[in-house]
Amino acid sequence: MYASVFTKTVRDRWRGVTIGTVSLAALLYLGMMAYQDIDLSIYTDLGPAFQSLIGIGEDADAASLAYNAIYSTYGAIILAGIAIAMGSAFIAGEERKGTIGVLLGNPRSRTQVTVAKAGAMLLLIAAAGLALWAAGVATPAALDVSVQGMDVAAFTLHLIVSTLFYGFLALAVGAWTGRTGLAAGVSAGVLMLSFLAVGILQAIEGAQDWARIFPWYYFSGSDPLLNGISWGHLAVLAGASSALFAIALIGVNRRDLRGRSTGVTLLDRLRAHPWTAKVGERLAGTARVSRIWVKTASEHQGLLFVVSALMFWVMGVMLGPVYRAIEGSMTDFGDALPAEMLAFFGGGDLTTPEGFYQIESFGMMTPIALLVVTITIAAKALAGEEENRTMGVLLANPVRRSQVVAEKTFTMLVFGAIVGVATFAGVAVGCLIAGIDISLVNVAATCLLATLIGLLFGALSMLVGAATGRVSLAVFVPVGAALAFHTMNALASLNDAWWGALSPFHYYLGSDPLKTGMDWGNAAILTVLTVALLALSFPAFERRDLRQR
Amino acid sequence: MSDVIALHTEGLTKHYGDVKALVELDLDVRPGEVVGFLGPNGAGKTTTIRTVMDEIRPTSGRASILGMDCHADSVEIRRHIGYLPSDLALYPNLTGKDTLTYFANLRGGVDWTYVGQLAERLGAELDKKVGDLSSGNRQKVGVIAAFMNRPQLLIMDEPSNGLDPLVQREFQTMMREVVAEGAAVFLSSHTLSEVQRVADRVGIIRHGRLMAMESVASLRSKGLRKVELELGSPAVLADFEAVPGVREVTVADRRANLSYEGTMDTLLKAVAGRYELIDILTHEADLEEIFLAYYHEDRVDGANGRNGAGS
Repeated sequence: MYASVFTKTVRDRWRGVTIGTVSLAALLYLGMMAYQDIDLSIYTDLGPAFQSLIGIGEDADAASLAYNAIYSTYGAIILAGIAIAMGSAFIAGEERKGTIGVLLGNPRSRTQVTVAKAGAMLLLIAAAGLALWAAGVATPAALDVSVQGMDVAAFTLHLIVSTLFYGFLALAVGAWTGRTGLAAGVSAGVLMLSFLAVGILQAIEGAQDWARIFPWYYFSGSDPLLNGISWGHLAVLAGASSALFAIALIGVNRRDLRGRSTGVTLLDRLRAHPWTAKVGERLAGTARVSRIWVKTASEHQGLLFVVSALMFWVMGVMLGPVYRAIEGSMTDFGDALPAEMLAFFGGGDLTTPEGFYQIESFGMMTPIALLVVTITIAAKALAGEEENRTMGVLLANPVRRSQVVAEKTFTMLVFGAIVGVATFAGVAVGCLIAGIDISLVNVAATCLLATLIGLLFGALSMLVGAATGRVSLAVFVPVGAALAFHTMNALASLNDAWWGALSPFHYYLGSDPLKTGMDWGNAAILTVLTVALLALSFPAFERRDLRQR
Repeated sequence: MSDVIALHTEGLTKHYGDVKALVELDLDVRPGEVVGFLGPNGAGKTTTIRTVMDEIRPTSGRASILGMDCHADSVEIRRHIGYLPSDLALYPNLTGKDTLTYFANLRGGVDWTYVGQLAERLGAELDKKVGDLSSGNRQKVGVIAAFMNRPQLLIMDEPSNGLDPLVQREFQTMMREVVAEGAAVFLSSHTLSEVQRVADRVGIIRHGRLMAMESVASLRSKGLRKVELELGSPAVLADFEAVPGVREVTVADRRANLSYEGTMDTLLKAVAGRYELIDILTHEADLEEIFLAYYHEDRVDGANGRNGAGS
């Protein structure tokens, strides 16, 4: 199995790819089944222009809706995320772990190692694409859904070529800088930005051409599901990927490899300089390690800053003027967008500001932002210290295990609340600037419910981490649960199925808080669930043998 | 407090499924002594230490530190002890100073003058980030963290890992100093020379069982000697194995090397009847040889029917 760098990389990485692919195939099956039960006849009356705009075939069928909702959004983002994780780990990750030295101690050149790892990524993503294609063909056959006029093969080919672009981007940044966080952050930023930008730009009259500067455009812009393969678009993506790979090879060969070092932050520079040492000490030293929760907060302050800034500026302040800009064109086709697709973005009517904010921000982006923060803190809180083997020295001090859980939970609660407040403040400022008529009280209520959703899945992560001591489980379980519950809620909301109430997301936007205001009953349900999960975390951690790794 | 046993275990047992990591361990560490815990990798040294530190919970049996129960009173216990885990890991983004400040805060403060002295003696670099330190320099931060609250009991798992010989020497002096002031030290090691130099008593553990617990002095006085014989004719292994008191033999051509416990008279009589004795060289076995003799004996236990491990 460890015959080469290539096979070892495949062996290390196949699990994540398989989990992602299987979940997507399962979601596709669920989605297609749900759409099949819904009367879609109104979409057949839309006319071909609208149909092509929103990516459904002439028969307005369950299949295209499901492909679009599951594969183009979830699928493209999840696969790109997996590729980014690989690309950033290949060179930069080995440097951070300090294993690059022993690896290159073998008679393999840096180029050979990079090529082998990139080859493994290529193979795994291609295999995922093949599996998704097979599922994409088998699912409609099994459910007896028509896929006439749809080119699933072309669609999945676009999907994997697009996915590889983000993987190579992460590889190139990692190869030049040796920093995993930077590689993953830049690539994820490009991914999210281009996903959002292409969606918004295509809705603005006259701005469509600008979408071409974003890589996402070359995945979905030609609508490969309906129009087949666009060789031109694929060539753009493949060319960009090849260029990034070449850049990665140059970078990895030119650079001094990093030992297992930590990098220098602005604070470190402040502390090192005699003029600013005092201020630096105050900012970094005693303040940063005065309590367990303070130290936990300082570890995650970078993430908090980035996510809060993103929510405040991009998802908040900027959205107001964007709404004003596209308001006019929206009224035309706003009615035409199928609720089945919008359900995945929280549903809503694009012609009203409430609906716009719900679809652009509160439906998906706000919960994602909150989950990223709460799950990161929670997964690293207990399981992270165990896997990094620092739990032993931490607990060598006279602190109870329950105190560690309590203080780290406190940090998670505070950070979740900060993201919630930043989201509210951004939307409020954006609406005031653009003069949008929306109830800020209702926005506040929605932000509060969103925060509670974030904390709920953070609490689940805390419990899993407390009970198992494994970071991977503490991440995968809540992320998987959130994905499944979100899908479940979106599908159930289409035909008011009773089982929608089993999803926590039902208690978030189910009462339409942007329009109707606070639903204290829903808030109470989310709070009770969160408190229950957190309460279970204490005995789960207290009773367990700590892992030695 | 000085008359209370520093560390006491009674029938301490830990199973991981079918694996018996620790079996009925009885152990005492008294104030004013260094107890070394010797054993090969995987013998159960770390399991013992993690159990008394309440990181893992015993399957049966109990342990107490300074008269307090290791589980029920674990927080109070940790006010009075210092702990250095095996294969130490610290927070890579904190400097040594930050790390010690963090632990000091969790302890409600420490004597920073003392910390400064410790750092100076070990030559620790406290201004660098822990992640940028070599493993030896990181270990120094761990050693300071274990000593800085002037603990009554120090529990250290392979503490000398990564320390260079000069620093090891200083570290051993520090251990002897705190013991002279009435503290107790319990350390695990596979560096036998270190235990020999610093420990008053030594426990030998393997396969989760305590094979022996004796003072270093009495282990030595067991009379185990290394004997090298130069003979007039090629040595035959069986001839030496048959001699009572011989524990380990290797033969090569006209030479025989043995670990021997008994009087020279018996040995010489047994050998002289079969061989011409050209030369004989003998010296007191060091701890390593005693240890290997015990370990070897138990590994071949049953094969030759000997059972001299306890005593």
